[in-house]
Amino acid sequence: MKMDQTKTVYWLQGGGCGGDTFSFLSSEFPNVIELFRTLNLKLLWHPSLSNISPGSHESIVTGIVSGEQPLDILLVEGSVVCGPAGTGMFHTRDGQAKKELLFSLATKAKLVMAVGTCASYGGFGADDVIEAVGLQFAKKERGGFLGEDFVAGSGQPVINLAGCPCHHDVVVGAIISAASGVVFELDKYQRPLEWFGTTVHQGCTRNEYHEYRVEESDFGEVGCLFFHMGCAGPLVPGLCNKSLWNQQSSKTRAGVPCFGCTDPEFPRSTPFFQTPNIEGIPLSLPMGVNRAHYMVYKGMAAAAAPEHLKNRKLKV
Amino acid sequence: MVKTTKGIAIPLNRVEGDLEIRVEVDNGSVVEAWSTGTMFRGFEMMMRGRGALDGLVVTPRICGICSITHLTAAVEALDAIAGAVPPDNARRLRNLALMTENMQSDVRQAILMFMVDFANQEAYREHPLGEEALKRYAPLEGRAAVEVIRETKRLVQVVGIIGGQWPHTSFMVPGGVTSMPEISKILQCRIITERFRSWYERSILGCPLERWHEVQSLSDLAIWLDEKKSHRESEVGFFIRFSKIAGLSSLGKGHNRFLSYGSFPLPENTAVRGHGGRLVRSGWADGTQVFEFDPSKITEDISHAWFEQGSEPRHPFESETKPYASGQSGRQYSWVKAPRYDGEAAETGPLAEMVIGGNPFFQEMVAQDGANIFARELARLVRPAYMLPYMKIWLDELLVERNSNFYNPVKRIPDGEGAGLIQAARGALGHWVKIEDERITHYQVITPTSWNGSPRDGRGVRGAWEEALIGTPVKDINNPVEAGHVIRSFDPCLVCAVHCLHKRI
Repeated sequence: MKMDQTKTVYWLQGGGCGGDTFSFLSSEFPNVIELFRTLNLKLLWHPSLSNISPGSHESIVTGIVSGEQPLDILLVEGSVVCGPAGTGMFHTRDGQAKKELLFSLATKAKLVMAVGTCASYGGFGADDVIEAVGLQFAKKERGGFLGEDFVAGSGQPVINLAGCPCHHDVVVGAIISAASGVVFELDKYQRPLEWFGTTVHQGCTRNEYHEYRVEESDFGEVGCLFFHMGCAGPLVPGLCNKSLWNQQSSKTRAGVPCFGCTDPEFPRSTPFFQTPNIEGIPLSLPMGVNRAHYMVYKGMAAAAAPEHLKNRKLKV
Repeated sequence: MVKTTKGIAIPLNRVEGDLEIRVEVDNGSVVEAWSTGTMFRGFEMMMRGRGALDGLVVTPRICGICSITHLTAAVEALDAIAGAVPPDNARRLRNLALMTENMQSDVRQAILMFMVDFANQEAYREHPLGEEALKRYAPLEGRAAVEVIRETKRLVQVVGIIGGQWPHTSFMVPGGVTSMPEISKILQCRIITERFRSWYERSILGCPLERWHEVQSLSDLAIWLDEKKSHRESEVGFFIRFSKIAGLSSLGKGHNRFLSYGSFPLPENTAVRGHGGRLVRSGWADGTQVFEFDPSKITEDISHAWFEQGSEPRHPFESETKPYASGQSGRQYSWVKAPRYDGEAAETGPLAEMVIGGNPFFQEMVAQDGANIFARELARLVRPAYMLPYMKIWLDELLVERNSNFYNPVKRIPDGEGAGLIQAARGALGHWVKIEDERITHYQVITPTSWNGSPRDGRGVRGAWEEALIGTPVKDINNPVEAGHVIRSFDPCLVCAVHCLHKRI
């Protein structure tokens, strides 16, 4: 692990809301300041944090493109806007499609990380006129903007830090790993297993209710949110209930269903806050589960539910 | 907020391209200005056909720094359609979350996105306070910048507790909220808020909130500044001293008309007093003359925006979003539509709230100099001083009412239309929604940045910051920091840079 040498970081904004930046700023340990100091990282550019003049910014970009300015880590937030009709003119920079700048920088960087679901898979706008795609995926399909064969200078493909927004501990953890030269172990959607090897369901304080299928059918009832309220916690990877948000909580702890925001198909087309189901059993079952077995198991579990759960006495 | 526009798009910001300003400079000052929102995201189009509650999940993603704001507007629109009245505890929790988000935004914007330009050495090497500004505001290094990053991430823990996470939670639902924090967690919110308050008093104001509240006029401000070293050395004190030398109170005047939708609906039983059932007052002001606000007077004009042409300005319940990328050649030049109130352009934001809410100090400033960079940014920097006392009151009320209701069930969203009109950190935000068969048939969003960063309308009248740019000196065409101050004093979503200057001598 080499941390002594200064490494350069450039943060590019695509079609996004800045939510990943503000998640990043919410990191407690290390906080953003400590991160840059201790890792000896030089932030060449971040649209919300930098104060250099437009001219200076332009010369950094020119330097990277010409190869004079080395770029170790390129972080991209927001989708690649390709509409209308592939021109990218729904998102421009100086009259040129912004995606052209992205291409120039990505081909020079040693490592490219997509921060958030929009940058990873297209996210909001993937099915709409803006023709949004992710850096190396269009939803579940490999390819995306840079193509399925793309690898950055380090030999690694795009690292997808999924989430809407990406959890602060993931952004910071991935930057630390990247600066240390770690080679990421990825799942099939190129999410690092380090943070996407568990489900959002793991660590959920409603697990007891889930186990005995004691369900919530309206907000605030206290129960499992999976069967009626549209919770995707058992369906998607993420660490929301393992590393808490803002060091405090998670949506499911606050009674809000998981919306499945680390999934390549987020946002799903079916209504949120509802679970599509057949005879009370959700259409989408937890990863790897057999439907017939699951129906029998949940039927028996519901029958075996202890009184304190049926009466919603157990806190969540 | 970030972008929006009509369309969905969200207009502006970040420098690399979400906002571009084109100006003509004559004799060293701006004589014409065009503001271009360069990104179209299509949120309103993607809302059509989705589930009735989906605005609660989708619209917070319009903006990463004010997602609670969009959630609030979305839920108020649904409350209106369903005829739902949230219980007092839900009002308190919603208000606390929104207020927290607004305060983090105000402080981050002021220090990290506005004052950081005081540390721009290319522009302020000769300014007598330039070196001190560098020590305070240099990105990731300045004393104030480091403190703000540390303190604001702690503050948003209040939303983490109430809503599960920040940003992008959806804990507000028609009829109330999804849960009530435990007593220990409410106490923790109080401690987080108190800790933020002590830091804010020590570093930002340099005095207790109560002392700041005594500043009721410009002469009070002069007395306050001279009174103590801690006042002069605070961020507010430094801002006043730096701005005076840089002449910021004489720049960025604009139309001098203001708009506020009002915000923070009050619980029925609360010690907090407001205007018309809300803490922050709604209104329309021409200079310091304040009028009642009438939501039916809002229209959107697309004559200069990249949308299919042909329609007259329409109310957002009737307007459409059909993007048409026609390039730079015609009269269209932005993805931002031009919202107008009774046909007039207006600015919105903290200064508008102060003027419309009757704050005598800010009214005096506007009466004397008109709107300007100094007044706008000062209003933002000190707004938390007026909000923090209410945080404490509502948290204390929650402790007493912990076991009372937080949600009145709404089984189904009926067919109908409703609007959620609130004050975001950056000003007036509206969501206009129509529901049919539990599906969204119409969704229009007008963000504060649409008002402030509006392009021209059919009469050729400039948007708020286009107008404010007129007359701004440009000393260095490659580093137009003064024009940047004008734009940033409106707090465009996140940052923005002024580039693409076209010189015409």
